Amino acid sequence: MEACKIKNRTFLQIQNQVAKQENIFSSYLRKPNLYDEVYSSGEASNPIYKKLLDLYGQYTVADFVNLNNKAKSSFFNQGITFQVYGEKDTKEKIFPFDLFPRIIDHDDWQIIESGSIQRAKALNLFLWDVYHDKKIIKDKVVPLDLISTSANYLDQMIGVDPPNKIYNHISGTDIIRHSDGNFYVLEDNIRCPSGVSYVVCNRTALKRALFGVFNHYQAHTVTNYAENLLETLESVKPQGVDSPTCVVITPGMYNSAYYEHSYLAKAMGIELVEGRDLFVENDFVYMKTINGPLKVDVIYRRIDDLFIDPLEFKPDSSLGVPGLFAAYRKGNVCLANAPGTGVADDKAIYTYMPHIIKYYLNEEPILSNVHTYHCSRPDELKYVLENVDKLVIKPVDEAGGYGISIGNKLTKAEIEKVQKQVKESPRKYIAQPILSLSVHPTYIDDKNSFEQRHIDLRTFTLLGKNKEFVLKGGLTRVALQEGNLVVNSSQGGGSKDTWVLKK
Amino acid sequence: MLARVANNLFWMGRYIERSEHIARYMNVNYFSSLDAPNDLSQSRQFVLESMLYMIGDPKGQEDLKLSEKEVLNNLGLNTKSSYSIINNVKAARENANSARDLISTELYESINKFYHFVLNYDVDHFVNKGLYDFTVNITESTAILRGKIRSTLLHDQVYAIIMLGINIERSTQIIRIINAKYHDALNAKGSYGDQIANSFEWTTMLKCSEAYDMNRRFYKKTPTRTTTLEFLVLNGDCPRSVMNSLNQVFSHMQVLDRTKHPLKNSTSFLVGKLRAELSYMLVEEIEDNVKEFIERILNRLYEISQQMEREFFNY
Repeated sequence: MEACKIKNRTFLQIQNQVAKQENIFSSYLRKPNLYDEVYSSGEASNPIYKKLLDLYGQYTVADFVNLNNKAKSSFFNQGITFQVYGEKDTKEKIFPFDLFPRIIDHDDWQIIESGSIQRAKALNLFLWDVYHDKKIIKDKVVPLDLISTSANYLDQMIGVDPPNKIYNHISGTDIIRHSDGNFYVLEDNIRCPSGVSYVVCNRTALKRALFGVFNHYQAHTVTNYAENLLETLESVKPQGVDSPTCVVITPGMYNSAYYEHSYLAKAMGIELVEGRDLFVENDFVYMKTINGPLKVDVIYRRIDDLFIDPLEFKPDSSLGVPGLFAAYRKGNVCLANAPGTGVADDKAIYTYMPHIIKYYLNEEPILSNVHTYHCSRPDELKYVLENVDKLVIKPVDEAGGYGISIGNKLTKAEIEKVQKQVKESPRKYIAQPILSLSVHPTYIDDKNSFEQRHIDLRTFTLLGKNKEFVLKGGLTRVALQEGNLVVNSSQGGGSKDTWVLKK
Repeated sequence: MLARVANNLFWMGRYIERSEHIARYMNVNYFSSLDAPNDLSQSRQFVLESMLYMIGDPKGQEDLKLSEKEVLNNLGLNTKSSYSIINNVKAARENANSARDLISTELYESINKFYHFVLNYDVDHFVNKGLYDFTVNITESTAILRGKIRSTLLHDQVYAIIMLGINIERSTQIIRIINAKYHDALNAKGSYGDQIANSFEWTTMLKCSEAYDMNRRFYKKTPTRTTTLEFLVLNGDCPRSVMNSLNQVFSHMQVLDRTKHPLKNSTSFLVGKLRAELSYMLVEEIEDNVKEFIERILNRLYEISQQMEREFFNY
């Protein structure tokens, strides 16, 4: 009964709005203290969004509901879904996608692109150093205990030379825009960063639904990621190989990112393998094909470090390939990303990034870091414990938005709980001031209207032999709950197509 | 191509083809029985038994009183029944998922839509009113899938493996249909001359394999046992015949095995041998002992499938 009433009311609202010829932005509310990407310059919209607003303004709410449903079924039919395990049966759901794109102008993009490359290069040099001479520690730029206590530092990688000295072939950098209008890096992801397939899907879905809008903008393509990724992988082939055989390795079709793994393999035209499809003989890696064994030279691995080789790491892992690490150590196969990169995208290392960039590249960081308090330092720990309500507290080694406490959202009891946790294991936590992520008009399903929602941006950077590439676009993630700052898809986040404009 | 993935694609082809034959068998038998020429062939029990016989469920021969809704559901949408269409479609999509990087976006999207159509089909509607709608949708969707397979995949090893699955399954299903309808014809006899040879069931058999019009055009007569068997087994021009399926298996095998003179007992060898035998077989050799022929040929097809497994999918 209640549901029925609500439904009727919404319907009436739509009817009224249509009758008044109101468009989908008529009821868009702007909160003055938030940085709105579309209205950042004051009352009027940003010039780059003007045309888009005009075009979208031509749609009635009913039109837009229709378009939105079409876009959803496009995702659903293409099987770009994830499983939700319910009590009775599993359901397939699509990742929420927003039809209103985010636009990044040429000048802003220059900063993001050069900043992403700078970080990726610095991280790569840092990784080489911490697994070889450890100069940065000897020079006391980064404290030793940060490395020695890191759960992600792999002793097995000490002294191992990855082909062409590259560790983080693929980096995902999470960037936000603060209310001061500047970009800040929230974190680096250089283990198995995911999400790039959604960049391509979002573009496809938007083109299917609203192809007309592309006539008015000159946006860079995003479909060239796969060819650049393949070039990157081929460029780091082991010595003595002319034309390398590259593969993508996946944990299997029940993995939540399986769609992405299969998309990348398909787009690159290479095999998607599982651990059981590979074997190692005399320290060379082969895949089992219908014509017999075929040597594999480069593996884009989407399996975590500890699962790649049961002989070297977790002995009970069935996802990996016995003997793979030995083949890697001998330089007979290249793994992308290299094992052990997790030590550098640790949230505690993050805080040293400005120093790391300076140390290796002798450059000023192009993208700012968010100021970070280390709970491992007594004076900073004291500040954190006293100011939990003003801070975001994050565990240093969790990914996917898990374990994050946002101070101003906590009750008194919850604050006490956080204080206790941090006191117990200070090394596990860092704290940052609560940043106000910029907001963007986002279509909200239940309300049939646009509202402000917080967004971030994940860029994808490739490093190969004599090759640097940043995908011109990246994944704009949206926190769909009003006021929420956590954008990860595992926490109910959605995403937007992201246009980088040509000059 | 990976051996594991090849195996999955082979079975994707088989499951797609299988669901089509089950759906058409249900449709044709159910609806043609409504105005069949005699009481027995018009009876619901007779049709339901025939469906179970074709699928290989022993309940069809146990003289039980069968419930129409239960039988239809078991063949159509019951996920607990191993041979149901829904389980075949699920398996086809699961296999497609595991080879998603190899098949085209277009083919995957069609399989996915097909899967969701079956998954969301209302069971009550199906067993009460939806039999025609459901089965026609299945046969049309599989036709679309075959079109996508043919026109959106590179005609390389991947294509050859899928087509091998489809054609081995097709020949198997045609033999099963012959088996079931022959069984029916023995029971529901025609009204003139040789009552078995002139049974109405031969017409139904041709319709079960979409070959009735072709048969009429070829023989210009009401189908009989002789013309039906000859057409469905030996006529290489009939696209659903065992002969045609084997010809296709033979040519797709050559993509996988390029040796000119196949090794003794390799898949290529077994396929070629069976194909050569059928090429020079006369319908009289089948007609006199249909049961024995069916058993022999099913064993040979099984043998081919087993050898493929050993030769290509053993990973």
